[in-house]
Amino acid sequence: MLEVKNIETYYDLIYAVRGVSLSIEEGSITAILGNNGAGKSTILKTIMGLIDDQPDKGSIEFDGKRIDGKDTEAIVRMGISYVPEGREVFEELTVRENLLMGAYTRKNRKEVAGDFDRVYRYFPVLQQRQNQWAGTLSGGEQQMLAIGRAMMSRPRLLFLDEPSLGLSPILVQEIFKIITAIHAEGVTVLLVEQNARMALKISHTAMILENGRFVLKGPSAELMEDENVKEFYMGVRSQDSAKGYQRWKRKKVWR
Amino acid sequence: MTEILAHDANGKALATTTPALFKETVAKKGDTVAMRHKDFGLWHDISWREYYDTARTIACALIDMGLEKGDRVAIIGDNCPEWVMIDMGIQCAGGVAVGIYTTNAWQEVEYVINHAEARFFFVENEEQLDKWLSFRENALSLKKVIVWDTKGLREFSDPMVMAYDRLVQTGRAMDTAAVDARMAELRPEDLCVLIYTSGTTGMPKGAMLTHGNVTWMAHAIEQQNRIDNRDEVLSFLPLCHIFERLFSVFAHIRHGYVVNFVEKPDTVMENMQEVSPTVGYAVPRIWEKYYSGIRIRMTDATWVKKLAFKAALAIGHKRATLKMNFEKVPLYLEVLFNIGYFAVFRKLKKRLGFDRLRVAYSGAAPISPEMLRAYQAIGVRLIEGYGQTEGTGVTCTSQLERVKFGTVGRPLPGCQVRIAEDGEILVKSPGVFVGYFKDEKATQEALKDGWLYSGDVGVLDSDGFLKITDRKKDIIITAGGKNITPQYIENKLKASPYINDAVVIGDRRKYLTSLIMLDEDNVMKFAQDNKIPFSTYGDLTQNSQIKQLIQQEVDEVNKTLARVENIRKFSIIPKKLYQEDGEVTPTMKVKRKKVYEAFANLIEAMY
Repeated sequence: MLEVKNIETYYDLIYAVRGVSLSIEEGSITAILGNNGAGKSTILKTIMGLIDDQPDKGSIEFDGKRIDGKDTEAIVRMGISYVPEGREVFEELTVRENLLMGAYTRKNRKEVAGDFDRVYRYFPVLQQRQNQWAGTLSGGEQQMLAIGRAMMSRPRLLFLDEPSLGLSPILVQEIFKIITAIHAEGVTVLLVEQNARMALKISHTAMILENGRFVLKGPSAELMEDENVKEFYMGVRSQDSAKGYQRWKRKKVWR
Repeated sequence: MTEILAHDANGKALATTTPALFKETVAKKGDTVAMRHKDFGLWHDISWREYYDTARTIACALIDMGLEKGDRVAIIGDNCPEWVMIDMGIQCAGGVAVGIYTTNAWQEVEYVINHAEARFFFVENEEQLDKWLSFRENALSLKKVIVWDTKGLREFSDPMVMAYDRLVQTGRAMDTAAVDARMAELRPEDLCVLIYTSGTTGMPKGAMLTHGNVTWMAHAIEQQNRIDNRDEVLSFLPLCHIFERLFSVFAHIRHGYVVNFVEKPDTVMENMQEVSPTVGYAVPRIWEKYYSGIRIRMTDATWVKKLAFKAALAIGHKRATLKMNFEKVPLYLEVLFNIGYFAVFRKLKKRLGFDRLRVAYSGAAPISPEMLRAYQAIGVRLIEGYGQTEGTGVTCTSQLERVKFGTVGRPLPGCQVRIAEDGEILVKSPGVFVGYFKDEKATQEALKDGWLYSGDVGVLDSDGFLKITDRKKDIIITAGGKNITPQYIENKLKASPYINDAVVIGDRRKYLTSLIMLDEDNVMKFAQDNKIPFSTYGDLTQNSQIKQLIQQEVDEVNKTLARVENIRKFSIIPKKLYQEDGEVTPTMKVKRKKVYEAFANLIEAMY
């Protein structure tokens, strides 16, 4: 469905993505894991055409058509939607207006009306607050709104950039449940996460990004058992100090 | 037993124990800089006086705690001033210092501690301390464990464990008479250090080096190429290895230059730029890595720069080839080289931190002659040193302007080299060790009539230059009965920018094959440039275009080899080799046996 080949992205002089290829199959959930600054968000932004004149090298194809270099609007029209990190809702618009903005690329009013119902079905709380300013919502509600807004363009492929950021554990579970539900309705999902445990649980394939390069990829179930992933992304110690606690970390080795 | 061997420029006999040598140098150097280390981004100086006083303070405290002459004391930690201060402290107290690799697992640390019967154990930090905690019940020889970086250990207390700062504090309050007496008591034939050879085979063995051995070597190393008190070196190879120990400790206290410690093991490149050492030394893997870096930089340059580099390189290559075959370099070539040098290589060297480099050594493993020539071609005077721990590190090196292609140079003055009937290189010198600690059998195999049996096979040419062909036990005899030296072929393969390591296989087989480890950086670059999609290193090793690329490189090497030496098939190793997995030694030498075992199915598939 999506084929990214050898992309390299610069922020001015900073070489953020150093040759990344990935392919996403229709109907899958793929997770990209990595620490801060690994380049996860940059990959999503590059695909969405949100960084001017990037990718510097490489190609991006969606349904066999080149999309690198296209406007973000055109990319969204083709069926990709993006939930940015930190929600970025329009704070001084109401919930309803925010959702309408998500349907900006759509013409058929009837269909849009139907989609409102769909979003409210996923997130009943949004319906209760539809006339409230988005800025007055809680963090969890804003996240829901951001996902709802992205759904309003009827994407076939949904990008989620750290949906669990800053949410309580219960809300994180809630959000991930909804992501699974959205996927069940036939939307392909690409998820960027730091919450490795949750991301590995719901995804089929996962990739680990470090310093702008993938160092590990595989079925999520396998990665969940990987010693390095356990220790560095899930906080499980592989070896314990005889004195009961330890400050140092084992050196990371990607085989 | 050992005579006084070395004299200074005025004919005065030089000290033959490390504490005496240390004392002489400190008397001359006083408050000048002995070493530098980097803390939170700033370089700090340590003077000779401070170095000497701290070492003696440590010696005081150790003697006070019951250290007897000849007792073994172990050290584990990354390179830093404390490491060498402790090392010299142990030696000043008449003890025998034993370095242990920080990368060793606790089981290996336990082996060395118990084999050496160490009485004290200096550990760098919490991570290393945890290793001791894992085997403390089984290490009964130890009296005290001393930690020098106590971060994260505030809550920890144990009667066996002591902070380094406290040790120094108590040592300061003591009378130095005991240390003076110990220092005076030492003789050149007394043991100085035990160096556990990382060993490409079996359990490590502890090579016993005497004060006479190391002080002679500290002196002899300077005979082929000048080292003096104005020099600067960068310390980053493991200090427990003889190569780094020689430059950071033994030759340092003899010649009085400045040792700069890298901030962390992975900041070598940055620190190299900052320090810009005048004398460089590294293992082949690092020189290869640097060369890969140069190549990558050049392929990314503008076309003008690329063209200039290509032209300058061609000239440099031609000149280096002539020089390394001892042929006369025509004047025009010399002029062209100098133009190229000023236009291209000078800046390049500056970027890498090689601009002040007078001489650079490669050692601890064989480097391909092509790699040496490549460095000579860009005006970096890289020369190879040959030797082994058992001979205190160095047997042969080349002289700066007399580097002969394919050889490791001539024996150090005072060092005799003989080739046995079966081709084995035998060495006799004041640097030859006295045996392996508690291993009579191995000692008898290595030392016969004062000759050190090196285990390497080689020839001395008519100019007296030594050419190494292989490790004796690595020589392959094919099913057809042909003797093949795998190292020669492997080095040719490794000279390819896309091949990081190669292991040739063929013992009792019909033909030769090879396992190949990719050069990650260059192959990734190749993949990017040629739009070969891949996610991870593992994908690259399976890619058919990459296989084709390696096939081309192998074909090129095959052209230069006799038919029986041709590599008929190869397999790319699907993972990187790690010391933690036991596949390479701490100095990045491939352990053949382990690699054969780990990739047996790949090997079988090729036959």
